[in-house]
Amino acid sequence: MTAFPRGSAPPRVQVHRQTSSGRIALVLFALAVIGLVAMPWWAKTGTIRMILELCCYIAVAQMWNMLAGYAGLVSVGQQAFMGAAGYALFVLAQTFGINPFLAIFLSLLAPAVLAVPCYLLLHRLDGPYFAIGTWVVAEVFRLAASNLGWLNAGAGMSLSVMKDYSAFERNVAMSLLCALMILVTIGGSYWFLRSRYGLALIAMRDNPVAAASQGVDVKRLRFMIYVAAAVGCGLVGSVYFMAQLRINPPSAFDPMWSNIAIFIVMVGGIASIEGVLIGALIYFIADRWFGEYGASYFVVLGLMTVLVALSARSGIWGMISKRWDAPWFPIRRHLTLTKETP
Amino acid sequence: MSGAILSTHGLIARYGDFQALYGIDFEIDAGEAVALIGANGAGKSTFLRALMGLLPVAAGMVRMEGTPIGGTATDRMVQMGVAIVPEGRRLFAGMSVEDNLRVAMDQAERLGRKGGWSLQRLHDLFPILKEKARTPVQSLSGGQQQMVSIGRALLCQPKLLLCDEISLGLAPKVIREIYAALPEVRAQGTSIILVEQDVGLAKQASDRLYCLLEGRVTLTGPSAEVTRDAISQAYFGGSHAVV
Amino acid sequence: MQWFDALVQGVLLGGMYAQYALGMALMFGVMKIVNVSHGDLVILLSLVGISLASSFGLGPFTVMVALVPLALALGWILQKAILNKVVGEDPLPSLIATFGLSLALQNLMLQIWSANSRSLPGGGIESRSIEIGGIYIGLLPVIVLVFAIGLTWGLDLMLKRTRFGRALRAAAADVEAAAMTGIDARKVYASATAIAVGILGFAAVFQSLRSTVAPADGGAQLIYAFEAVIIGGMGSIWGAFAGSMVLGITQAIGFRIDPGFGVLAGHLVFLLVLATRPQGLFGKV
Repeated sequence: MTAFPRGSAPPRVQVHRQTSSGRIALVLFALAVIGLVAMPWWAKTGTIRMILELCCYIAVAQMWNMLAGYAGLVSVGQQAFMGAAGYALFVLAQTFGINPFLAIFLSLLAPAVLAVPCYLLLHRLDGPYFAIGTWVVAEVFRLAASNLGWLNAGAGMSLSVMKDYSAFERNVAMSLLCALMILVTIGGSYWFLRSRYGLALIAMRDNPVAAASQGVDVKRLRFMIYVAAAVGCGLVGSVYFMAQLRINPPSAFDPMWSNIAIFIVMVGGIASIEGVLIGALIYFIADRWFGEYGASYFVVLGLMTVLVALSARSGIWGMISKRWDAPWFPIRRHLTLTKETP
Repeated sequence: MSGAILSTHGLIARYGDFQALYGIDFEIDAGEAVALIGANGAGKSTFLRALMGLLPVAAGMVRMEGTPIGGTATDRMVQMGVAIVPEGRRLFAGMSVEDNLRVAMDQAERLGRKGGWSLQRLHDLFPILKEKARTPVQSLSGGQQQMVSIGRALLCQPKLLLCDEISLGLAPKVIREIYAALPEVRAQGTSIILVEQDVGLAKQASDRLYCLLEGRVTLTGPSAEVTRDAISQAYFGGSHAVV
Repeated sequence: MQWFDALVQGVLLGGMYAQYALGMALMFGVMKIVNVSHGDLVILLSLVGISLASSFGLGPFTVMVALVPLALALGWILQKAILNKVVGEDPLPSLIATFGLSLALQNLMLQIWSANSRSLPGGGIESRSIEIGGIYIGLLPVIVLVFAIGLTWGLDLMLKRTRFGRALRAAAADVEAAAMTGIDARKVYASATAIAVGILGFAAVFQSLRSTVAPADGGAQLIYAFEAVIIGGMGSIWGAFAGSMVLGITQAIGFRIDPGFGVLAGHLVFLLVLATRPQGLFGKV
């Protein structure tokens, strides 16, 4: 069966995904990554630490965005995997004496391995159940770490092996890790969303039941994203705690990270990479400027989140893209008719 | 038109971007039964939903005893004396038959609606509901569920009852049983708007009928007088379908 | 004997948890609304109660008389101003909205009351106890348990037997169909949330009498309440009570095994229930 009248050739179409705004953004993104790599040569240690924090926000928020915005998995317990990887790094580097820069990659096995049983336990729960389940899992991780002797229980651990490296060497490492974090989380998500999985994911986000009936393996896709997000958050945890040089259960499994991720994604705009970047910048700047006001600043952040949930579900990026169709990370496919070549 | 209990004037309704009704003029008198027929997607159910305040419509498009009431919230429509037996029955899952019915009785009492319907009379009409009073509604058969849904609407003590495809998916014997209850409802002075796929059934149970096609009225007249021919023209469209 | 004592203490602790869990059972279990600020509301009410007691020299039960109406009003406003605008099929908006509210409330309390732990002076009842067969039972925990049973009984009856309860169950089952019978779902929901938060007025007084409260404590209370509701089974009021008992007993026994294991044991039992019986002990499949 064919949709075209007999005798006429089907019109030639071309699939476009890149837009001019996207091309500009891609160049800027590449420049930003190069800038991150080159930080030791243009930034002071304090600046590098600040930028490292910003990169952590972006990375964690994007992982949450993939979970909540695309896979429909609202997690409030991603800190479980940050802490798990952080602790794995400290154990590998400090207890077993493995090179910390090798250990940071090995430590990612911890969230990857732990994510599997967690998902098997939680995946049958929908919506709010799932959210609370992830929170409880994170609490279990925290309480377990507080009770385990080989993690030094409640007292926590220090990463004194880092003293073997000069300040410059550490800065180079931190800069490379920042660039890696951004490449893996933002670049990786973008690649994923543009791949054939991306289409399936968007179909799934819009309507999981319909997507499943169209042959999208919703279960497998969700599982993949859950594990990938665990590893992504794990990377952030390892990098963050390597920079901190100390880890203890309350900081490793701090629910604050979930708060930050939710704020960034909801205010910036859920289900878009652009939203994450906007939200992270807002949070970062607000944190620098108003952080000294402590509690009252968080009151404002909280109320902003309420406001977004009440009246602007698609966040700031949603409002922007309603007015200007200029995505930085275009993932939609546009069909255009091309002239027939004889 | 002063006798009309409810009338619509150029009623337009849409689901998002999709326009489902294109200016429906309709009226029903007190005590009258009017059938709405037409193919799937003709807009019959949409029309009932618009009347019931389940779709946004402009105030002037619907009048009840002359007063513009279009777009009034559904719960207020019940207060004004309109009740619906919705498509798909929409019973309260997890609650017993009696609790489902009591919900309507409670609200009628709260809203100060008085009428002739009581649990007792409903049990006389559908004896099975008494037998199954304690049964959770989801374990009833389709026909029994439909009886609960009709009962629930009647206990709202309506002046006007909207019935959306009450025969859908039921066995012929059960359909007869349910349709046999309608004269009883009319005897109470209640008007009925009946959306029905089965044209024969619709003609039998109504005084007048309207046929809809693609969101427009294509035929209207006394049920006893319209011919099969006219109906089939109005049903599927044709050059001179409006009689 | 030591284990029997743990069991008794666990039941008493469960009485406290039941008071948080009841409101959650109504909102989450029946109405399917996720209120992340549930625990913070307990803390807010506790802190208000403590301030009332210290500024006007009120006894705990006088504080309760003042707090419960305040809690009712708070719940009603919460539903009217926020939750009615975010309820729907998608749980994300209500989750996010109350999450933001929780963040704002916690930090607002931090600003007003500082991070210090406080408690409500009980005029002696908090330290009184009775000895039965070698086990010391605190008077206050017994009062808490009695209140919890009374509240559970009352709430269950209200839901099953009253016009309001039927309307609420109907609206929770199908909002549109409920409107077709004349129910104003927003009004019913506002009253239901008022009741759910109103119960927290009792919980707040007992919580601040039994132990201390600090602005950051709300998260733990929220988790316990959720765990109790899910262990017991969604939609069942007595289920939430039973879930609270399971949680209280597990924590008390875990605590006897190792003081660091108490709360963890509760979480593990919750996860076990999730894994083996996700519909909860009393939930329908």
